[in-house]
Amino acid sequence: MSENRSGSSLSRRTFLTTTAASAAGLAAAGSLATHPSPARAQTKSGVVRVWGEPGPYAGVAVDGMNEWAQQNAPGLKFEIETIGWGSVYVKLMTDLAAGQPANLISVESPLAYQLMAEGLLEPVDDVVDTIGRGRMIEGTKWEYWGNWKGQQYVVPAHHQPHLLMVRMDIINELGLSNPDTWTWDDLLNAAKTIHEKKKMPGIALALGRNLATAYYFAALLHSAGGRMFDVGNKFEVVFDSPETVETLEFIDRLRPYMPRGATEYSFLQVVDSMVTGEAAMVFYWGRVYGRAAAEAPEVFKNIESFNHARHPRTGNRYNWNDFQGWAIPKQNNPFIDEVKQAVAYYQTKREWLIRYVHSLVPNVSPVYKDVAEDPRLLDHPFFETKKDTIMNYYVHSLKHASNTGNELLKGVNPLAGIVHGRLILAQTVQKVVLDNWAPSKAAKWGAQQLESVRKEHFRLVI
Amino acid sequence: MSNILQSDLFGKVRATVLYATLLLVTFLICFPLLWSLSTSLKPTTEIFATPPTLVPEEYSLEQYKSLIQGKDMYFVPGTKYRPKTSPPQHFLAWFANSTIVTFGSTVISVVISTLAAYSLTRFRYWGRRFIPYFSLLGYMLPSIIFVFPLFLVMVELGLTNNLWSLVLGYVSITLPFCMWLMWAFFRGIPVELEEAALIDGASRLRVFIEIVLPMAMPGIIAAAIFSMIVSWNDYLFARIFINSIQQLPLTVGVMHFFEGVHVNWGLMMASAVMMTLPLAALFMVIQRHLVAGFGAGAVKG
Amino acid sequence: MPRGHSYSGLSDRQVGILFIVPFLVTAVVFIAYPVAQAVLMAFYSINPLRPGDATFVGLDNFYYLFDDSLFWDSFIQATVWTLSSIALQTVLGVALALLLHVPLRGISVFRGLLLFPYIVPTVVIALIWRWMFNPEIGIVNHSLMSSGLIEENVYWLSTPTIAMASTVMLNVWKYTPFVIICVLAKLQTIPLELYDAAKVDGAGVWQRFRDITLPQLKEVLVVVVIFRTIWTFNKFEEIYLLTKGGPGTSTFNLAIYSFEQSIANLRMGVGAATAVIMMGVLLVGSILYLRVFRFAEEES
Repeated sequence: MSENRSGSSLSRRTFLTTTAASAAGLAAAGSLATHPSPARAQTKSGVVRVWGEPGPYAGVAVDGMNEWAQQNAPGLKFEIETIGWGSVYVKLMTDLAAGQPANLISVESPLAYQLMAEGLLEPVDDVVDTIGRGRMIEGTKWEYWGNWKGQQYVVPAHHQPHLLMVRMDIINELGLSNPDTWTWDDLLNAAKTIHEKKKMPGIALALGRNLATAYYFAALLHSAGGRMFDVGNKFEVVFDSPETVETLEFIDRLRPYMPRGATEYSFLQVVDSMVTGEAAMVFYWGRVYGRAAAEAPEVFKNIESFNHARHPRTGNRYNWNDFQGWAIPKQNNPFIDEVKQAVAYYQTKREWLIRYVHSLVPNVSPVYKDVAEDPRLLDHPFFETKKDTIMNYYVHSLKHASNTGNELLKGVNPLAGIVHGRLILAQTVQKVVLDNWAPSKAAKWGAQQLESVRKEHFRLVI
Repeated sequence: MSNILQSDLFGKVRATVLYATLLLVTFLICFPLLWSLSTSLKPTTEIFATPPTLVPEEYSLEQYKSLIQGKDMYFVPGTKYRPKTSPPQHFLAWFANSTIVTFGSTVISVVISTLAAYSLTRFRYWGRRFIPYFSLLGYMLPSIIFVFPLFLVMVELGLTNNLWSLVLGYVSITLPFCMWLMWAFFRGIPVELEEAALIDGASRLRVFIEIVLPMAMPGIIAAAIFSMIVSWNDYLFARIFINSIQQLPLTVGVMHFFEGVHVNWGLMMASAVMMTLPLAALFMVIQRHLVAGFGAGAVKG
Repeated sequence: MPRGHSYSGLSDRQVGILFIVPFLVTAVVFIAYPVAQAVLMAFYSINPLRPGDATFVGLDNFYYLFDDSLFWDSFIQATVWTLSSIALQTVLGVALALLLHVPLRGISVFRGLLLFPYIVPTVVIALIWRWMFNPEIGIVNHSLMSSGLIEENVYWLSTPTIAMASTVMLNVWKYTPFVIICVLAKLQTIPLELYDAAKVDGAGVWQRFRDITLPQLKEVLVVVVIFRTIWTFNKFEEIYLLTKGGPGTSTFNLAIYSFEQSIANLRMGVGAATAVIMMGVLLVGSILYLRVFRFAEEES
């Protein structure tokens, strides 16, 4: 301490180095484990930080990228960081504010749209050229993952719809009709019948203040023909509509047949309610099958997934599809070239793409024709018993794909990411199910919130 | 302490009632921790048994093994290729990170505050009366208020995603209290002994090290304990300051077990126990100082 | 002041000043400067996605707050949660401290166990709470159900009023030990002669508590209540980790509100303005504390 003579000049940097040095000497361990931060790495070695959703698949992709690194950049190691859906925004904002985003991020399209419109992503047209523009499966376009003003910013990882998941043993026992033919009224009736006859929740949806709720609501809203913004008309807010009210009313009518805790449910609790046999129906992505097979084989045997019930008037049966892709943050990213090459590498090696899909069947659907048609894809035990369900997730859902970032596939909307960050849709639902607001009042409230998003962030869309 | 009014019988009844109350209250208060311990020692099948078993019927270290070996959280039947990417594989790293930042920040906080408090109570200069009160204000400052600006300071210093950001962040939380406590403590230590030594020609440093420090030990221990508890327990700073998963401390790390579509309660409770154990061990050793230290510091300035 | 020379060739006074320098520098860089920044940020519009372009907006952020019903909800909820937590902590804390003050064999073991919650990490408590209070598989509902106290499962964390009660319970569980510690320390300093004298005068247990113990504890209690009020009002982690402010926004307090505004809503300025208001609350509390503290000092 007596060496510390810099007291008079309050240079933060000098202070820090001196204090740091003297403190390091004092620390019992003698050294603090400080990995060199990638941003300052001079040589191309170090850890390439990759964000992924919870689940094994992003890990498979990273293993594929590491295969590239071993051959082409032995100093690099791609490392996966799992970010839960509820934490993505906190993580992203703090990483960006710190100027230290991960080097490669796996994000769902509404968030990707927001980031690309903000100018935070690196264009990847060159990667797409390497991957091959003609490979996309029927019913999808590159822009679904992220294209803005003529440039591609996102490389597809998978597509991922939520569908109506049903316990067929219960449906059959009660003599209910084929869920594939249902309208909203049939769905409501099924939930009610199950609730009354089986003394169990007929359906479990997330109604909490979280993204799961937003995703369920959005799909229903789209089926009813409603939207948040009119992309074709200066992104005007069109949320305060009879369709929104109708959707909120429908959720409210389903509620008596849901678990009582549903007003706080998020992704996890919905999966729980299916796997534990608590509820007979849910809306969910394919990952429920993996967990059910591991923990509850009886449940696994009896569940099947269908396209959603049709809206009685419009006849539409939209689902929510994440269109999850890989995006490369461009600020302070020293590994842009390496990441591009690694992504291109694993996306052109079909065995890696099949491993990726196989790691969680049928949650992550193949994006490329050649993968979808590769006979090796069928080499997974779930294809023996769940082929129809898998095909519903992989293929038949695409006709009805939608999400908030690309409502009714009418055009990309970067404002959706902000809407989700603020949980406006989930809060609108909660106004009805928790605070007992009239649906029309909740729709007005939601519209006001959307309007303020539009006002604050209009620069993104012009 | 004998009291004529208190008969033997009355004393016995009174003691029994008191013990019964104490046992009941202690059981209720300790129950959450006991329940997590009990859960963590059950095999996975027993964790969800109805009716739940209070004491495990079968003891199993399965949960702890999973934590330490970094078990795959994402087991999916039928999958041939399984990546090793599941969050538990970082558990030991998180534990090490927590230990490092806790010790680092505690040492820094205690050293700085001891020196400062000694200076404030033994020397005269402008501001010596205000500084302790400002420290007190700092002690009351909730970290949420300045976490973002502090984060930007760390960004500027290039320390984000680096354990130093946490060490220094925790110093910013613990320093004011340590300072306040040490200041109160030094005020209570008579200066005569030091002055005698100084007059005898001993240097200030020697006096400080050989006379003052041994007398200040109880205060230093109390400050260190406080500092360790705060640093080990923090969630917010780690959540904001650290970007990459292998640099996280335990508090933020274990929350990853919550963020999938499958909460492994056994794993969670085992991590809860593992996070509490180091503090529990510390607590047993220094319980006496805790009461003394807080009595001195928190309450009576 | 005695003069002496240390081996480093510095005068005694220089050594003294050198001793305070690390503290001052650390406090300025890592506390005062960020706090000042936080205050400054309250007058800017800042998007964390573009931390570079901040624009000065005057008092707009404050106007925004005062117009936002969620801000007021958060304020009221924070008050409710603070008052109920503090009332419970104080009553329980004093009662338990009195219990632990009785000279019984093995009392130190009980003392240790009852103080323990204070050092348990918030993350751990939140996890345990979520496990115990899980509506379907939690031990709490199971116990209440099997003892016939409830007819059907209570949704501890998904019913607004009950969720608030759950967060209060967590806070009381964790921080009552703090009250116990402080009260116990004070109880140990009350001269026994006071009680003996009262007993001779024929005062009963309650009378002795009211006339001797309580007045002696008054000062400690005021201080403890002020401290705990300030901290509880501004608490972030307990609520964030247990309910994230939910269900709905029914357990939002200002800290959660500030965090949500800064991160989820991309309005760091509004978050900072909330922090400024929290600081105001803190300052009022601190001034109160200092008055009490000074007053006490003059007395002794």
